[in-house]
Amino acid sequence: MVLAIKAENLKVGFLLEEEVLWAVKGVDLAVEEGTTLCIIGESGCGKSTLASAIAGTLPPYAVTSGKLRIYDRVLINGDVRNYNGVRGRITAYIPQNPGTSLNPFMTIEDHFYYVLKSIFGINRKDSRRIAIEALSRVDLDSSILEKYPHELSGGMQQRVLIALALSTNAKILIADEPTSSIDAYLKFQVVKLIGKLQRELNKTLIVITHDLVTTSTICDDIAIMYAGRIVELGGREDIVLNPRHPYTKMLLEVSPIPGIRKPLKHISGEPPNLGVEITGCPFYERCPYRIEICKQEPQIWEIGEQHTSSCWRAREAPWL
Amino acid sequence: MAVNRGKYIIELENVIAGYIVAPPKLRSIFKTKQIVLRDINFRVGTSERVAIVGRSGSGKSTLLKVILGILKPFSGRVLIHGHDIYRLPWRRRVELLRRIGYVPQDPFKSLNPVLKVKSILKEPLEACGFKGNVDEKIRLIVKLVGLPENVVDMYPEELSGGMRQRVLIARALISEPEVLILDEPTSALDVSIQAQVVNLINEIYERLKLSIITVTHDLAIAQYVADRVVVIDNGRIVEEGSLAEILNNPRSNFMKTVISSYPKLHKLE
Repeated sequence: MVLAIKAENLKVGFLLEEEVLWAVKGVDLAVEEGTTLCIIGESGCGKSTLASAIAGTLPPYAVTSGKLRIYDRVLINGDVRNYNGVRGRITAYIPQNPGTSLNPFMTIEDHFYYVLKSIFGINRKDSRRIAIEALSRVDLDSSILEKYPHELSGGMQQRVLIALALSTNAKILIADEPTSSIDAYLKFQVVKLIGKLQRELNKTLIVITHDLVTTSTICDDIAIMYAGRIVELGGREDIVLNPRHPYTKMLLEVSPIPGIRKPLKHISGEPPNLGVEITGCPFYERCPYRIEICKQEPQIWEIGEQHTSSCWRAREAPWL
Repeated sequence: MAVNRGKYIIELENVIAGYIVAPPKLRSIFKTKQIVLRDINFRVGTSERVAIVGRSGSGKSTLLKVILGILKPFSGRVLIHGHDIYRLPWRRRVELLRRIGYVPQDPFKSLNPVLKVKSILKEPLEACGFKGNVDEKIRLIVKLVGLPENVVDMYPEELSGGMRQRVLIARALISEPEVLILDEPTSALDVSIQAQVVNLINEIYERLKLSIITVTHDLAIAQYVADRVVVIDNGRIVEEGSLAEILNNPRSNFMKTVISSYPKLHKLE
């Protein structure tokens, strides 16, 4: 077993004028090579910040603490960050919005050339060859190389972004909300495509999403994130069939499924503001199963093999 | 204006619509018609809930523009209560269009950031020439959509996505329309609050028995807010019926492709 990613008490924040706003508040995570991990949660839970920390796209005003390793390289050690030789070569980032992530003044061929030249110093002829190969993997032909982003549909733009990430042959792919800005019909096709590529090329894949239903079909493990912490972590079957945190259970219930008309529930309230210092369980205010002890910081309970939950009531699980 | 209260509130007959396009710099010489909607026949009855589904670029938004009186079709008739709105004088057309309430797509971009909620809700009343007690009317509509009373003194930026969507629905309902049109009501919202908006739409339907047209690209949402689903692809209505009928027996190639791409979800039930 080779660990591709290992985070130990990782904290990531952003330096404001007088204070640090912590978006990721102490994450412990271990991802095996060749597996798919979905990180799921609502907007503002710190998912994208965690993805940026792994991909190496944190802004200069970010503040870090704890440790992050990718294979044998230490990327984050306290407030020291070193992504040299990692970005693009080992980790590749598939950004959130295909419509605004491609440069409207550059053809698709130029996008590939720009990426490959900056990482490997490759010339235009070789970059075109690699681009055609990467595009064929996402079922696009070479004719789109001469096109500009606005000439492509949303689904095609998303495929181009996936092909760009594949072109550098990075071992770890980080897809940030790959389905959030495309049609419901394309969602499943894009997710299937990402899953297929991960299996064929044996990549380690991190998918950031709030759509548990769509993405749970391709992942091996699921991490549920809330208020900057991972509140439940486990295998796909464990999380979907045996959720041991009320937030996980509620996320499963809010997702509508075509053809299955169950009563649609919602999660009342909103995630806590990242700037607010929380004592006790961060889900306390919204939790229908809260009891007195929940005012204290919950410990992490081991439910089964590689299935953990940070809920005081994880073992009894009254929501099941 | 006297209206014929027939079986249908909105009727589209053989509508062909689209846009006039021309290459830049040659705008005045080489104008061509780009047809987006082809031969659309579409009816909405009293208290009917219809969902219009289709992928991006299929013509959903163009269809809405035609119904809302913004885009005159190249040919065909658009009837509201039996009157062809594009053949009426402007004043009479506006009177008829007031019977339609519209909720735009993105709650984060559709509210004026410098106006308080009270002013946002007052605007449509002033446009309609409302003569009654404005404050009382606003109080009732705010209550109807499940917002706290103090929301009227807030600016849009102080509200969450779900609350903004409720304000948009309140703005559409305050002039007491007969038809409510919702353009992708949940697409800009987090999955955890989508259900709030869907449940609100259904509560409003139960209370007011309006006709509701929901435009969405998500079949999962359509099944909650509509009894009849109209599928548009490439500018044509390719399928129509209840969602169960369409899912169990898709006739169009488009729906067959869509349904085949859905994952096997039995484990999640």
